[in-house]
Parts: sequence; C-alpha cells; structure tokens
Amino acid sequence: MEAALKPPRRSFVREWILTVDHKKIGIMYGVTALFFFLLGGLFALLVRTDLLSYKGLFTAQSYNEFFTMHATIMIFAVIIPLLTGAFGNYLVPLHIGARDMAFPRMNALSYWLYLVSGIILLLSMVFGMPDAGWTSYPPYSVQSHGPGIDLWVMAIHLSGLSSILGAINFIVTIHKMRAPGMTYTRMSLFTWSMLVTAYMQLFGTPALAGAITTLISDRHFGTVFYNSAQGGDPMLYQHLFWFYSHPAVYIMILPGFGIISEVLPVFARKPIFGYHAIAYSSVAIGFLGFFVWAHHMFVAGMAMSTGIPFMISSMIIAVPTSVKIFNWLATLWSGSVEYTVPMMFASLGFIGSFIIGGFSGVIVAAVPLDMNLHDTYFIVAHIHYVLFGGSVMTIMAGLHFWFPKVTGRMYNTKLGYLSFWLYFIGTQVAFFPMHFLGLAGMPRRIASYNPIFQFWNDVSTIGAYMLGLGTLVIVSNLLYSAKRGRKVAANPWGAQTLEWTISSPPPEHNFDDLPVVSSNPYQPYPEPNANPNPTPSPTPAPV
Amino acid sequence: MPAALTHMSQSVDGLFYWVLGVITFFFVLVEVLLVGFLVRYRRTKQNLVGAAVHGNNKLEILWTLIPALILVAIGVFSVKYVYADQIAPAKPVVIQVIGHEWQWEFKYPNGVDTVNDLRVPAGQNVLFDITSADVIHGFDIPAVRLQQDAVPGRRTQFWVNVESQFVGQTFDVPCDQFCGPGHPTMVAKMQVMSPAAYQSWLQTEKQQQNSTSSNS
Repeated sequence: MEAALKPPRRSFVREWILTVDHKKIGIMYGVTALFFFLLGGLFALLVRTDLLSYKGLFTAQSYNEFFTMHATIMIFAVIIPLLTGAFGNYLVPLHIGARDMAFPRMNALSYWLYLVSGIILLLSMVFGMPDAGWTSYPPYSVQSHGPGIDLWVMAIHLSGLSSILGAINFIVTIHKMRAPGMTYTRMSLFTWSMLVTAYMQLFGTPALAGAITTLISDRHFGTVFYNSAQGGDPMLYQHLFWFYSHPAVYIMILPGFGIISEVLPVFARKPIFGYHAIAYSSVAIGFLGFFVWAHHMFVAGMAMSTGIPFMISSMIIAVPTSVKIFNWLATLWSGSVEYTVPMMFASLGFIGSFIIGGFSGVIVAAVPLDMNLHDTYFIVAHIHYVLFGGSVMTIMAGLHFWFPKVTGRMYNTKLGYLSFWLYFIGTQVAFFPMHFLGLAGMPRRIASYNPIFQFWNDVSTIGAYMLGLGTLVIVSNLLYSAKRGRKVAANPWGAQTLEWTISSPPPEHNFDDLPVVSSNPYQPYPEPNANPNPTPSPTPAPV
Repeated sequence: MPAALTHMSQSVDGLFYWVLGVITFFFVLVEVLLVGFLVRYRRTKQNLVGAAVHGNNKLEILWTLIPALILVAIGVFSVKYVYADQIAPAKPVVIQVIGHEWQWEFKYPNGVDTVNDLRVPAGQNVLFDITSADVIHGFDIPAVRLQQDAVPGRRTQFWVNVESQFVGQTFDVPCDQFCGPGHPTMVAKMQVMSPAAYQSWLQTEKQQQNSTSSNS
C-alpha cells in the first residue's frame, strides 16, 4: 500500500522539462523570475552607482543601456511573470478547486516562450543591449544602431505571446473549471483579480505587439510609420504603446491586490471586510484602465486641453483603489493581528508604501501639475512607489505566505523580518528623495546631472543598496529553506482558501476528492476555546 | 522648489500646494489608521480572534463617494489652468525652438539664431514655437513649470510672461525627454532681460551674425 501512495520517481526531464502540471509550471515561472529579479536589481544598482557622482561614473551610453535593461527585465521578466505566471498558475486552479488549468500544454508553452524571451534579453548583454528606455520611443529607437533594439523587440514579442496564451488559459479556467458550488461570489479575491488581469492582458497586449512590429518594420523594412519627413507620426507609437502599457501597470498590481486580500484576513483572524466591494473594484479598475493611457502624453504634442478627459478618468480610477485601501484597513480593525513576515510585507510594507505612489499619482494626473513634473524624477519616485512599494511588496508578502504550501517547509523567520525591514526602510530611503529631485527640476534618464542634485541622489543610492542587500537575504533564505527548512503542517497559518485543505506540497492531482464549496473562503474564525484548530469552512467533501 | 518666474507658475504652485495639502491629510489619516490598528488590535491572549464582521454598506458608499468627489474636484479645478496655459495671448514675441541631437536652437523674430542661449524679455508675452530636427526632445523650463515635447513634424507651443524682478538672472532649460547619449548635457541657459536690453542684444547679435555670414 505504502509503495502505491509514493509518487513515482521521475527523471529531471520528465519531472520538470516535460511537465504540464500547473504547480510545477508556476514554480518554474517563480524560480526563473527570481533569477531575473537579481539581474534586474543588479542593473538598478549600476544605475544608482553611476549617479553617486554628479559627473556620472559610467559613460552615458552604458547608463542608457543599464536603465533600459533594468526596466525591461523588471516589468516583462519579473513582475508580470511572477504575479500571473507564478502566483496565478500555482494558485488559481487550487483556489477554484480544479485539477489543473484548462489547457495544460498551452500553459507549458507560455512558460517556455517566457523563458526564450528572457534568454534573448540575456543574449543582448553579449551582442549589444537596447538603449532607448523600456518605452523605446521612435524616432530615437529607429535610429539606434546595433542589434539591441531588435533583440528587445523579439523578447517583448515572445513575452507578449506568452502573456496572451496565459490570459486565455486563465479566462477559460476560471469561467469553466470551478468546483461544484464555487459560484463567482465564492471565489477567492485573488482569483477575481487574476480574472480581471487576464482580460486586460488579452485586450491590451496586441496593441503593444502592433507598436513594436511597426517599430522593427521602420528599422529594417523601409516603412515610414514614425518618419515624419515622409508622412509618418511618432505619436502613433506612443498611443499604441500606452494603450497596452498603462493597463500593464494594473496588470502588475491587480494580482498583488489579490495577494493582499488573501494575507490580511488570515493574520487578522477576521473575514475580509467588503468582499463584494473589493471584487467589483478590481473589475472597475480593469475597465477604467483602458481609458487613461494618454495621461502619459500630456506634453507629447497633444493639445493641452485634450488631456482633460484623460485627467478626469485618471482621477476616477483612483477611486476603486482607495475603496480597496479602506476595506483592507477595515479588515485590520477589531482583528487579532499576528505580525508574521507575510503580514508585515502586506500591511506596513505594501499599504504603508503603496499609498505614497497612489497619492503622487493624483498629483501627476492633474494636467497643469504634470506640465511641470512630467519626465522629472517625481515620475521616477511615483513609479517606484507603485511598482516597488506596491507590486514587489505584494510579491514578497505572497512568497512568504505560500512558501510553506509550495515546499512543505518554513523559512527562517528572523531573516524574514530582517529582509522586511531592509525592504521597508530601503524603499523610503531610495525612492522618497526622488520627489524632491523632481520638484527641483531634475530630468529623468540622465547619466550626469547638475551638482545641486548630488545630496539626494547619494541618499537614494544608499537606499538602493539596502534594497539589494534585502533581496539577497530573501533569495538566500528561501532557497536554503526550500531544502533545509523546518517541516510544517498543511495549514500552518490557519488560512481558509482551498489549497490549505490539502497536503504541503500538494499532490500532483491536487484534490483527492472534488471539493464542494458552500461559502466564500473568508468566514469568521471560531473562538479558540470552541476549537483550538480552526478548520476552514469550505472543507472538501466526497461527491 | 526653484523660483517661479511667471504669474502662471506661481498659481500652479498654489494648485500644487493645495492638492498636496489634501493628499497629505489623507496620507496621514491612512498611515495613522494602519499603524493604529496594527498596534491596537495585535494578537494577545485576550484577543485571539477578530470580530465576525463581513462589511458595512454605508461605509462602502461613504469611502467611495468622498474620494470620488474630492478627486473629481481636483480635476475640475485644474481645468482652468489648462486653458490658461493653452490659449496664447494676442501678438506675443514668438521664439522658435528647435531640438537637435544634442542642443537647443533658438530663432528670434528678427532672424537671430542662437544655440543653447535663450533670452527672454521680462514683462512681455513670449510664445515658444517648438519642434525637432531629429528625434523627440523635451523642452522644459522648470522655473516656469511648463514643458512641451519637441516632436519632429509637429509644432507644440507654450507661452510665458516673466516678471521683471527676475531681470539679469539665468535659468536652466534642460531636455527632459530621453534622446540618447547627449541627453544629460542638452541644457540651454535662459537669461531674463529688460525689454530694452533684449532689443539691443537682438540688434548686436544680428549685426554680428550678418557679418560672420557675409565673411564666410
């Protein structure tokens, strides 16, 4: 009997390379993306090191390549694949009580396309790196010599294809493969956020593909989409680019919002406050996210008054986000808050930092204020509070929350707290001074600068080194603990979503018996005297 | 923030501080609630489970409507500044601005042509008529809180009226749209002059430029 229960031993190739299991694919996404996180972080440190001196320590050309690689890697090879590829793949089938994704082979194809896209970015470090920024605006990106931009276009195309295939998979899986009783309003909030994210990827990514296809066509095939001397218009690219890339900002934060909505109630020992408000505000963000793109282009050549509708829509999209913030705060209210590592990242780390990015977003959404702050360090501060104080904090909350589920082991919590404080303080030290620099008029993307800006640049670089150190602590802690960590039970946090009802790590087929669901996974916790081990209410039952 | 040279930029700073005040209020509110709840409701032996509360519709409506009203108010309030920026006054002094890799060229009404040397008369309406000869640049004058991209094949504009108290002072005019390796050093100087000094400078420059071009 015992031998029959043991999973069969398989070769590495069969176990990983040929796998179509959503959990293994999720892990491969996660490990690959963490590797690129280290690489993208290295480029960030090169950028900040250059700025230690107002003269710039590297050549302007190298600096341009560093910040282009930093942003491209972080956006396309780290944050999007981690949130959708790793967390989404691993969790969505488990959260809805499914055996796997709807199209397991297509899911594997998504991962391998992503990996090839990442390898192309790596190859560009050998053959010539792109130097036109992650936005790659023509005509500069058309003129730029060497294979850098071409490799960049190939990498983005493959990553976009991987996104589109993944999005189709999530949409079909969530609509069609929910367990009996798993109505839409009993789904986890993470699943809700992934559903909206998948629709945004499906509708947005083709615009990006169009932008970069015309770009490479202008570079090599003699077309004139962006050559104004022959009737083209560089602004077309910006419209296409931002039609994807503003929704991409929400693609990079909505799954993170979902993670926060899972972590907070578990460690506050409370039901999530305002389930419907949080779920529907994600839908509102997904819809409104397609109507704000031109707020990146207030000074790009549109009539100034053309910015007004985009200013109003950008103001309105802040409302569903603030609804979430207030609901999360209300979830903490009257809770029983346990200061675990994921809870620190989710509460103080994420909410405490992200709102700064949200508020500075209100400032730059106002056309007259953006006329001053556009393309200054104020914008750099804003995006880093949103993407680092926001997305990366949610990723770290999620990694430390689901690590015991994925590995069956616990990490070193002392190192976990150390990395949290390095991250939290490092974020403020690295990114808050950038507001001052922007208000003082320092443009972004410059390798050398006016000496009056040196002090706050040096402070910011110190913060960046703290973040680098924190990242090393996190990655080494998690890697070591995955093999050597203390073994833990199936549900060490007392969480209520379905994945915690099965063993850690979960069996390949996920659920021994198809779960039957009778409520959403955010139920009140019983008094400890009544039951010392709170049992999640949607218990799987045999059908 | 650096000096604000125009009436317009001073009122934009006013708008900035007003918006900053509103968001600082909410920032402090959220941080105080966050840290307050984390500390007040921490897990203790007396507090092992949280309250069995699922939500409250009145609160949801409240914290949807209040931010919505404030945000739309900020937007609506900003509209008049947009039109004030956009609609140029009648008969301004027009200075043509042309971005090159990697310098700013300025063409004055009498034909004078300078590189990285921008002179504006104080107390007069000056309209910048901006374009680019190659890639996209960003014509940014932080001291007047305004910028427009210099886009090939397209003309963008903004106007200023610099107050006379700044006569004699010089300000940086950086390119703030990424344009390649020369981007960081693509900085022009803007000198504010009295109208009389501006006119005589234009005359002298014109004679000098004519003599150099006839010599060559």
